[in-house]
Amino acid sequence: MHRFIANKLLVPSTCVRGLDFPGVFVPSTSFHEYRKSGYVDKTQKKTSTRESIRDGLKELKQEIKNWTAEVKDGVMMDPIMAMPLPGEVDAQWFFNQNTNFDDWVVTSDSDHNEGHSSCSFGVSQVGKGLFSGNLSTQLVKDGKVKNAGYCNIKSIRPLKSFKRDSFHDWSAYTHLVLRVRGDGRSYMINLGSAGYFDINWNDQFHFALYTRGGPHWQVSKIPFSKFFMTSKGRVQDHQQAVPLNRITSFGITAADKINGPFRLEIDYVGLERDPTHTEISAYEQYKTPYFYAGY
Amino acid sequence: MAVKFGLSLNRILQRALPQVHNCKLLPCLQSRHIHINSLHFKNKEPNELIVSPSMFYVPEGDRNKDTFLEAVKIYTTRPGPRRAQVEFIYAALKEMEEFGVHRDLEAYKDIIDILPKGKYIPTNMFQAEFMHYPKQQQCIIDVLEQMENNGVCPDKETDQMVLNIFGRHGAPTKKLRRMAYWMPKFKNQSPWALPQKIPNSNLEIAKLAVQRMGSVDPATEMNIFQTSELQDAIDDTWIVNGQSANQRDLLAKLKEKQTVYVEGAFTIWLRRTSINYFILRSEPVPLTEEEQKQRNEYDYDDVSELRSWMFGEENLTRKDIVVQPSVHEQEDGTILAIAITGTCSKDSLLSWIRFLEKTNPNLANLSILFATNSPLGEVAPAIESNMPSQPLNKITGGSDL
Repeated sequence: MHRFIANKLLVPSTCVRGLDFPGVFVPSTSFHEYRKSGYVDKTQKKTSTRESIRDGLKELKQEIKNWTAEVKDGVMMDPIMAMPLPGEVDAQWFFNQNTNFDDWVVTSDSDHNEGHSSCSFGVSQVGKGLFSGNLSTQLVKDGKVKNAGYCNIKSIRPLKSFKRDSFHDWSAYTHLVLRVRGDGRSYMINLGSAGYFDINWNDQFHFALYTRGGPHWQVSKIPFSKFFMTSKGRVQDHQQAVPLNRITSFGITAADKINGPFRLEIDYVGLERDPTHTEISAYEQYKTPYFYAGY
Repeated sequence: MAVKFGLSLNRILQRALPQVHNCKLLPCLQSRHIHINSLHFKNKEPNELIVSPSMFYVPEGDRNKDTFLEAVKIYTTRPGPRRAQVEFIYAALKEMEEFGVHRDLEAYKDIIDILPKGKYIPTNMFQAEFMHYPKQQQCIIDVLEQMENNGVCPDKETDQMVLNIFGRHGAPTKKLRRMAYWMPKFKNQSPWALPQKIPNSNLEIAKLAVQRMGSVDPATEMNIFQTSELQDAIDDTWIVNGQSANQRDLLAKLKEKQTVYVEGAFTIWLRRTSINYFILRSEPVPLTEEEQKQRNEYDYDDVSELRSWMFGEENLTRKDIVVQPSVHEQEDGTILAIAITGTCSKDSLLSWIRFLEKTNPNLANLSILFATNSPLGEVAPAIESNMPSQPLNKITGGSDL
């Protein structure tokens, strides 16, 4: 199993996905220095080392508390034997007045002067989550940007104590369920599954969220098996099932190349188990000839 | 050998001259010595004007598919050796939207067909691995990328064409086959199917929109009213109304003097076209205090309260049975009808209510409020009557959408 990096380079990727081939050589051209490919938040103030140590120590107390609770949970809690009940939706995120929208990262191409789209994520008049804005495919005239027009929301990475990276474990479920009210446009659902190594930082799984439009709410139930894998926005030749125990983020993108306002109200994002759904991946898993495709 | 090469180069440059604008090669011609060192020919600044854009210079009114294909034909049938093919293809790509052919597979096929067949096919594994003819390959990748961005799926003929140009190991061939695999998978994936080409007429768009919004209730009926049938209507226009039997029942049950709201205009998108619609809504029926208490306090996980008929316990009391609310009864209001009018004017909405009164006699007993805002979303205000019947329905994009 290999994957295409930077169009040309072949990199064995089993080593980086499965973590079980430690000694495999990874060429240095696949090296990604920054998590966000150099996009930095310029509004963030620089803090001195002394300041960050002081701030860190302030948080120590709470982190130790979190850690204690984690250890206690690990020792005392029974393993969850029961599977989620079929037909019941377990809500992962509810959106209402009490939602902390700081847990969501809202971005659009105008953030880094790469386009003219703008968007916001907040509470709607009826007290649900509202992702809305204006999409524009107009290019900025800097001679570099070729395509423009995206607005995006994304959940922040779950953390364990001491700010360690953690994952959403959705392995007991088969379907993603969303209750939304859209405007007839199509949106994209993104499931981030960032791995440990830099080559897997940009692994994502996507599927389209079609909206009916109109005043009625809709419930979209999407099997995880239908999600397809991409890296840096390019669909990969070798498809695999969503690693449901290692989900790092959930997001929705508006980028249908249609200029104009968009509006998507979201009530909840939930999960459901359907035991009759046995499909693992909806896409062909056959092998292409050697040195033909990207693996 | 060098002299021979120099001469032929000179001739090439002279022949190229009529099309060369702002070209860095010009000084070389005047000098007595012709360099063949590549350093002398390197453009220090990006210069894309090797092909004159005049080839696509067509008066604005005449820019269409025919003139575009004609421009490509002029280029391909010009006498003499063909040169600057990649530059020509890039120039053509830029002009496609102007000519309205950016969603036309035939036009794309025409410009891919410019490249010679067989010449760029690698003959050994080293060529295959190291991007044989990289400029040409990248150019066709960019053509395919533009096709992908515009939702144009390549067909078998395109595949054959690219295969004949670059061979099975060419990067464009691989990209094309990836497109041919993925694009059709999502072409008809939406559960709310729409025609590939959204019609031009506002009335047809309105019908599609009402049909789509009404699909939430399979019993939704769509009617088209003409305001000219009413005596005191000012605007002469059409109204597309969507209402189901269920909604009529809900409307009939409303108490006298209760307020119903005519709200809008909201926007719905059908592919690249958007249209404004209005709704008739009543306030949601609030839960009684008892119901609210029961909902809040009832512990669904408590199994000790389970009643079993086997032990002589009544399973359900009459009170526990509730009719499941219909899809129209939402927490933010009950949707009673949806309409799109030809003018989006207040008068046309009034006519809509008059038409509805014929099938919903209870509407006469209710107070109807034409609201200027709505909890359901942003609202574009309805226009005052007496205005000329200019359609407010905003159509974005071209007619081929």
